[in-house]
Amino acid sequence: MEENKRSMWQFPWRYPESIAFVLGVLVVGYVLQAFIGSFDFSLLLWPVNGILGGVVILLSLLLALKRKNPIVQWLSGVPMAVSLIGGLLLLGLLMGLTPQVKHIHHGDTSPASVLGLRQMTTSWPFVLLYFFTLLSLGTLIMRRLFHFRIADYAFYLNHIGLWLLLFAAGWGAADMKRYVMHIREGEVEWRVYNDRGDVLELPVGIRLNDFTMEEYPPQLTVIDRETGNAQPESKPDYLQLEELPVSGRLAHWDIEVEQYIHQAIRNSDSTYHEVFMPGASPAALVKTVDRTNGEISRGWISCGNRAQLYMTLPLTNEYMLVMTQPEPKRFVSDINIYTEDGTEAHALLAVNKPHRAGPWMLYQYGYDYEAGKLSSYTSIELVYDPWVVAVYIGIILLAAGSACMLWIGNRRKEATDDVE
Amino acid sequence: MTWNEFIWFALPAMLLWISAGVLVYTRLKRSVVDGIMLAGIGVFVAFMVGFWIGLERPPLRTMGETRLWYSLFLSVIGFLTYKRWKYNWLLSFSSLMACVFVCINIFKPEIHSKNLMPALQSIWFVPHVTSYILSYAMLGAATIASFIQIRKQGRGLADQQLYHLMDNLVYAGFGFLMLGLLMGCVWAKEAWGHYWSWDPKETWAFVTAAAYLMYIHMRLRKWHPTFTLWLLPIAFILLMITWIGVNYLPSAQGSVHTYS
Ligand code: HEM
Repeated sequence: MEENKRSMWQFPWRYPESIAFVLGVLVVGYVLQAFIGSFDFSLLLWPVNGILGGVVILLSLLLALKRKNPIVQWLSGVPMAVSLIGGLLLLGLLMGLTPQVKHIHHGDTSPASVLGLRQMTTSWPFVLLYFFTLLSLGTLIMRRLFHFRIADYAFYLNHIGLWLLLFAAGWGAADMKRYVMHIREGEVEWRVYNDRGDVLELPVGIRLNDFTMEEYPPQLTVIDRETGNAQPESKPDYLQLEELPVSGRLAHWDIEVEQYIHQAIRNSDSTYHEVFMPGASPAALVKTVDRTNGEISRGWISCGNRAQLYMTLPLTNEYMLVMTQPEPKRFVSDINIYTEDGTEAHALLAVNKPHRAGPWMLYQYGYDYEAGKLSSYTSIELVYDPWVVAVYIGIILLAAGSACMLWIGNRRKEATDDVE
Repeated sequence: MTWNEFIWFALPAMLLWISAGVLVYTRLKRSVVDGIMLAGIGVFVAFMVGFWIGLERPPLRTMGETRLWYSLFLSVIGFLTYKRWKYNWLLSFSSLMACVFVCINIFKPEIHSKNLMPALQSIWFVPHVTSYILSYAMLGAATIASFIQIRKQGRGLADQQLYHLMDNLVYAGFGFLMLGLLMGCVWAKEAWGHYWSWDPKETWAFVTAAAYLMYIHMRLRKWHPTFTLWLLPIAFILLMITWIGVNYLPSAQGSVHTYS
């Protein structure tokens, strides 16, 4: 227990000094936050982020050249790493407990807003801790690369991967652009909205040829005719429609589905027949038996949509059988993409199936949720993220490092006492 | 092949897996245990191949189909990690988990048609979730070990053997945790246009990873051993919040990751 007698700030520096440093950074960060407000990422737009990123790399290199210096060893050592990660953990906890918002109203003087807790990632303490983590990690990597050992491959994969990921995600945040474009069927659109709702015009135009949606078969449930609540109220029963035969029990009725048409149109006599057209809606012919008195009802029901009325099956004066709205299975925008230099491309855009158009990535974003498959427009998100390749390389290295960890485990038999 | 034939493959597979999980504690030859386990996996794979052909598409669409992959990955990866680390309980535990998912498919068949929303329809869904399940299992085991070590430490004699086990479990568990996370990033980029949005679930995943990183790095030096040991239970609580608790936090209302 020699170490405890060591007074603070006497070399070698370990936990007390590292924790003091991180706390100092946090204090400075909160003072800055209180006086000048959130960190403005737009200051880092290319090429500023490139230059500053280069400065960080250079700084790490210079520090690593002085690797015998006790301060450099401390900055890139284990206690500092743990303290920095601990600081980020603390901010992450605050962030995880405070609802985060996109924009803070002018004149919002609640402590959480003034201290940046509601927009943690642009708050000074967060940005400063991120910066020092990058510097510490960078210096460590350079220092270890000076005595490169192939046996340390797991160390390199993990730390270089993470460093690259942090570096590209952090500095790249300023250059990232995300817009949403709403396009009506048959029209070409060049205007997009940013997250503040401002309209901008892009050098990319998109025409929506067709918006189509496949739906899952809906469910049946019994509702109270007055309140509309599904029954039994404590834990509503639902019967999933699928390929026949379908039968089951809802509240105290036995249900048997005699016929199910996924795309149906109503006949004049309130029966349904199959028609493949956008206005069609699911419909089912159902027989119900009341278990309490054996009473039988039979009839067509449908959930309807914008083009057709819904249809229900009354069971008693209080209850009726209804069909829920179907959930989307897949929605696809058939689009043409035009650029200002006259090129044209065709794409089918769906969730999880983005499309690249020059520097932009296009994502299926939304549609008119109320109209469902009858939606007359589609919403597409356009994302410009020039740093994403570096991020992917970081992800691949880090994933390789993780694979090493689960395969190799901890090779050290016992914790060592000191640095180097 | 269809779900109707499932039971004729599921029962023998479960029987084989559980037998392997039990026999591993006996003096039976290791190669026999391995053979039994592999036979179970073989039976299960046979069903999946037949089912795939029968469906004329990969069985990746419904929850029931997804559970088939959980069972398969849990048994295969559990077997591999057991072979690697020689912890018997690893084989029993992953066999048991694999059987749990098989049983859900047998006893809750109506959930087969649980509708998968479009964002979840991705090749990343199954590996992402299985990776997390494995990581939770290992980190959970490491937490139990940490309590034992805390008691031993309190009596002044930390067990180096146990430390070795704990560190290996944390390394392997953290490896799976990071793989799950990174696959999630790639998936998020594909589905939502960004690999990391600081959504509440993501924020808590970050916090959890940070806590395990603190443990991993503190174990590299022998300062503050008691604090280091307590990091594991704390990290595991954070892990549970990330997994289950986030849905109940006020900060997470409207999170894209709450599927209820
Ligand atoms: C996914 C992230 C990370 C993983 C998986 C990881 C894993 C590891 C492992 C396994 C070691 C010991 C291996 C060896 O020394 O050969 C180690 C050492 C170390 N790591 Fe990390 N680490 C990560 C992030 C970080 C971060 C963010 C920092 C700093 C802020 C850091 C700083 C250190 C330091 C200082 C050492 C000791 C190096 C030495 O003794 O020379 N690590 N890390």
